[in-house]
This record gives sequence, C-alpha cells and structure tokens, in this order.
Amino acid sequence: MIKNIDNARKIKMGSSFMNSAIALVISLILGMVIIGISGYSPIESYIAIFGVSLGTLKGFALSLSQATPLIFTGLAFAFAYKVKMINTGAEGQLYAGAMAAALVGAYITNLPSGVHALLGFAAAFLAGGLAALFVALCKVYLNANEIIVSLMLNEIIIFFTSYLANGPLKPPGSGVGQTKMIEDTAKLTKLIPQTQLTTAIFIAIITACVLAYLLDKTVFGYEIKVTGHNLKASNVAGINVSKISLITFALSGAIAGMGGAAMVLGVNYRFVEGFSSGYGFAGISIAALAAYNPIGVIFSAFLIGILKSGTITLNRTTSIPVELVDIIQVLVLIFVAAPALIKSIMSRAKKVRSKSSREEHMEVKTSDI
Amino acid sequence: MTFNAEVLYSIVASTLRSSVPLILAALGGCFSVRAGVSDLGLEGMMLAGSFFSVLGSYITGNAWLGLLFGMLFGAVFSMLHAVMHITYRVNASISGMCVNLLATAATPLLLNEIFGMSGKSPIVEAFKKPDWQWMNNIPVVGRILGAQNVLFFVAILLVIVSWIFMYKTKIGLRMRMVSENPHAASTVGLNVTAYKYFGVAMSGCLAGFAGAYLSIGQMNLFVEEMTAGRGYIAVVINAFGKYNPLGVFGGSIFFGFFDALQTIFQNIFPSQLVMMTPYVFTLLVIALGLGGSRGPAGVGKHVDN
Repeated sequence: MIKNIDNARKIKMGSSFMNSAIALVISLILGMVIIGISGYSPIESYIAIFGVSLGTLKGFALSLSQATPLIFTGLAFAFAYKVKMINTGAEGQLYAGAMAAALVGAYITNLPSGVHALLGFAAAFLAGGLAALFVALCKVYLNANEIIVSLMLNEIIIFFTSYLANGPLKPPGSGVGQTKMIEDTAKLTKLIPQTQLTTAIFIAIITACVLAYLLDKTVFGYEIKVTGHNLKASNVAGINVSKISLITFALSGAIAGMGGAAMVLGVNYRFVEGFSSGYGFAGISIAALAAYNPIGVIFSAFLIGILKSGTITLNRTTSIPVELVDIIQVLVLIFVAAPALIKSIMSRAKKVRSKSSREEHMEVKTSDI
Repeated sequence: MTFNAEVLYSIVASTLRSSVPLILAALGGCFSVRAGVSDLGLEGMMLAGSFFSVLGSYITGNAWLGLLFGMLFGAVFSMLHAVMHITYRVNASISGMCVNLLATAATPLLLNEIFGMSGKSPIVEAFKKPDWQWMNNIPVVGRILGAQNVLFFVAILLVIVSWIFMYKTKIGLRMRMVSENPHAASTVGLNVTAYKYFGVAMSGCLAGFAGAYLSIGQMNLFVEEMTAGRGYIAVVINAFGKYNPLGVFGGSIFFGFFDALQTIFQNIFPSQLVMMTPYVFTLLVIALGLGGSRGPAGVGKHVDN
C-alpha cells in the first residue's frame, strides 16, 4: 500500500517536473523572439547568458546572490499556496523585513557578530509575519480577498518605509532615501570576496529544507496539506482550518521578510528605498516552476538567478533588455499554470509531425493485415 | 491653506477627475463578474490600455484613435485571462495575476523597444480640456463640469448604457444568468463560454479605456506603472458597488474623493504618506466589511460541454 502511494507520488512528481521543464523550454524559446527583435542572435545570446553566469566565478556568484532573495519569496508563495492561499504580498513583506533588519542592524550595538545578524533575520521574520498575519486575519474573519488586501498592503508598506527612509531615519547628508549603515557585527560574511554572495544563501537553503521537513514529516505539515486539498473535509476531520490558514500565511510572510533581511544584511548594508526589483512577484513564477515544492524552489530560483545575472552582465556591453527575464518569468507562470495549454501545443506539434509520417504508418498497417 | 469656495470647487472637480478611471475599470469588472469570471486582471488590462493608447496616438496623431488602440489592446490582454481561465480552467486568480504581471513586464520592454526610452514615453497628442464658454456661465455645476475632460461624459454615458444592457435587455439577463448558475444557463441552451468570453472582452475594453484616460486623458504620455494599483482598487469598488454599474459609479466617486484628497494634503504632509492614503482607505473599506460582498453565485464555475 505504502509502496503504491510512493509510486503514485513519484509519478506525480515526475509529471510536474516534465510540465515545468516543457514550460521553461517554451518560455525560453519565446524569449528568443524578444532577443531577436532587439537585434541580437537568440542562440548566441543564450550561450552568452549561460556562459557568463555559469562559466565565470563572478557570474556564478552573481547568479547565486540574485537567487537568494528569490528563494525566500518563492518559498513564501509556495508555502501559502499549500493552503490554497495566494500570497501576492511578498513584495511588501520583503520591504517590512528589510526595514526591521536595518533597524536592528543599525541601532542595536555591542552584540557578537553572528548573533547580531541572526537577530536581524529574526526581526525581519517577525515584521514580514505580522504584515501577512494582518492579511490572513482579513481573509479568515472578513472573507476578504487576500490577493487584493496583500496588494494594498504592499503599497502602504512600500510608501511607509520610503517615508521613514526619507524622513526620520535618513542619516544627515544622505542624498537618496536610505537608513543608517548597519553595524559591522550585523553584516553577513562574504563567501567570495568582492561579490554579493554571502552566507544568506545558506540561510535560504536551510529555510527551504526546514519547510520541506515541516510539510512532509510533521503533523502540522499534514494538516496544512489536508486543509489545502479539501477545506470541508478537513473541518469535518477536526482540523482547525482557520488556525492552520492563519499560521501558514503568517509563516509565508515571515519567510518573505527574511528575504528582505538577506538584502539588507548581505548586500546593501542598510535599507535603501526601492531596493527590490520585483523579487516579491518573481516568487510566484519561481514557486509555480518548482511545482510548489520547497526544495524545487532552490533550483528554480537558481535558474532565474542565472538568467538575471547573465542579462545584467550582458546589458553592460550590449543592449539586450534586462526586462527579458521578467517576461520569461511571466511566460513560465502562464505555461506552468495551464498544463492543458502545453498539452494542446504538444499535440498540435505532434499532428504536424505525424502528418509527414502518416503514410509510412498506413503501409505498416496494411502489411499487418 | 484657507478653506473657501475655491478649494471646495477644486476638491469636487478633482474628485470627479480621479474617479473617471475607477468608474471605467470597475465597470469593466462588472461585465466580467456578471459573466461569471473574476476581475482580478483589471490592473494589467488598464496598464496595457495606458501604453497602447499612447502608441496609437503616436502613430496616428489622433487622440481618439489612440483611445481605440488602448481599448483594443486592453481586450487583447484580457484574452490571456479568458483563454487561461475559461478554456484551460486555470484558477482565475492566477490567470488574472498573469495578465497583471505580463503587462508590468511587457510595457517597460515595449517602451524600450519601440521608443528607445525608459521610464516614460515621448509626449503624444492627447485629449484637450474642452473650452466650453457657455458652461462657465452656469453657476456651481458649470464650473465643476467645465473642468472635466470630454471622456468624463463618455464614462457617465457608458455607465448608463451598461446598466440598461445588464438589467433591461435579454442578452444582459442571460449574461447574468451565466454568472449566477452556469449549469442552468447551459441546460436552457445558452453558450456559457461565449458569454464569459464576451464579459471578459468587455472588461478588457473598458479597462483599456480607463488606462487611456490616465495616459492621454489626464496626461499626454505613458509613465511606467502609471496605473499604480488603480485596477486593484477597481476590483474592491466593484465588490463595494455590488457588481452593479450604478453602485460602481457611486463607489468610484467615493474612492475618487480620497484620491483627490492627496492634492489638498500634499503641501501639509510628507509626499509618501499622502500617496499612501488611497490604499489605506481601501483597506479600511475592506476591514469594515464593505468590500467583501459576495459576487454572483456561479463565478469561477465551469460547465463541461
């Protein structure tokens, strides 16, 4: 019996992997059109993008450091989606977390270095979690649409943190909206000098592993999955659906908040107004590409990180648009979300192919008879 | 700032001005929800409308043709939502977000590819404020309406026409039936899919119109992410107005007022806090339980053919 379930699971994972892989390939092919319109050779450009990102130490480090916040936001979306809630608030939670980490980093002093950085992450965890908890409360008790509430809260958090960075928290003499530099003890250790790659990547990977363990090996994880599959049945089974939804969504926001801490403690060393280039929304595609599997998120975030790092590097010398990656992300989301769409594309492609080989089949059939 | 009749006039006039895009987008939402499809993609359709109306005006040199272009591409973007949700049965929230994310990613790219500019487009031919001398002679009303763009009057006309369509015509009744109970509608022989596609296409046109109002109605260029969440606010207004064109109209004026308050507060409070107000207000409306009204019973339900 257990073996059967395991097999079924393997088959399911296999098919979702194929689905993601096909979606990715189609999206990359469509991305070629954009590169072509920009006046570059698509295939050479992809070779250059992957070559720079994977073939050079700097490029590889940039890919990983670009992937770091994406792992957090991807995990955030994937985790909330386990209870079929859609966390479009990761962008705001990221900003809330970043501000919390920047405050802890700058205004708490005399702490040992590791402890200080961890405290920054804890503050970000709390800030992101509280932001998400508000949304979840609106959803559970007011039956509000969590997507809309999250998006409104995003704007509020982004404007409010921007106010803080331009007003009360702005260090004297600073031109742009930012907070005071954090203490050295709060800074994360760089893994490769002169890159942005820090120990934050380990924290991201550990978080993914913890979530995977939580979902697969604990009672709480089981309750989350049951809640996500069937609300009515889980209520009947004695699972407190409201409680599970609230905790899951708050944790999802907390994880996105940690992404903000990773940016502040590892990259910018302070809260900088408008620091996120859409990491929150990228998380949606990354989670979908990983079929909402926490470990898968690490890889899909790395993949998007490779594309980002490659286009950023190439953009310095060519005019291949950096928006290319954003478009590819959306395309991936579209194709992953609509497996039936992929199937119909594939079957149409097959029809075209089989038309040419149909005559051969006919011959085989007649000879069989 | 002293409070006098001048200030009052300007508040009312700018309330009406800010409510136009909300009216149009939320009206589009009405069509979508009243055909049984969630309206979460309004923001993206609106943003597409903003960009393509500028492009249309740039190519043709005519603001009306620009508007047509904007509506057309609003509808094109809405078809992504329609195909994903209606034909391929994707969760409507996800397909709506796909439209929003695609528009957010595609507009800066197109801005770069077509105009070679980033952040904003070149200045194009836009709708001019009408110069109606006779209106200025009417006291109070004339001064307020005289400050409106011609599109304001088109928007009001569209609200009335939409209301008549939905509540006084046979097709409107059938469309609402699809949203209330698609199975019953299908049983009596209605083409549920066609009605749904129609509702979504209408929402795309109207959201495109709303976007065009922002770019070539109020301004004369496209600015990146210029819709600034108005499409999402329109979703809330639609629920607030009980998915009825007249309710939506009232709701939009209400929300437009809080948008207009920005102009008054901008000299008193820091700009970031002022820009926060429409979103805070929207959240308050939701928190007071006014934004969570249930839509038609059959929204999101599919019929197997």
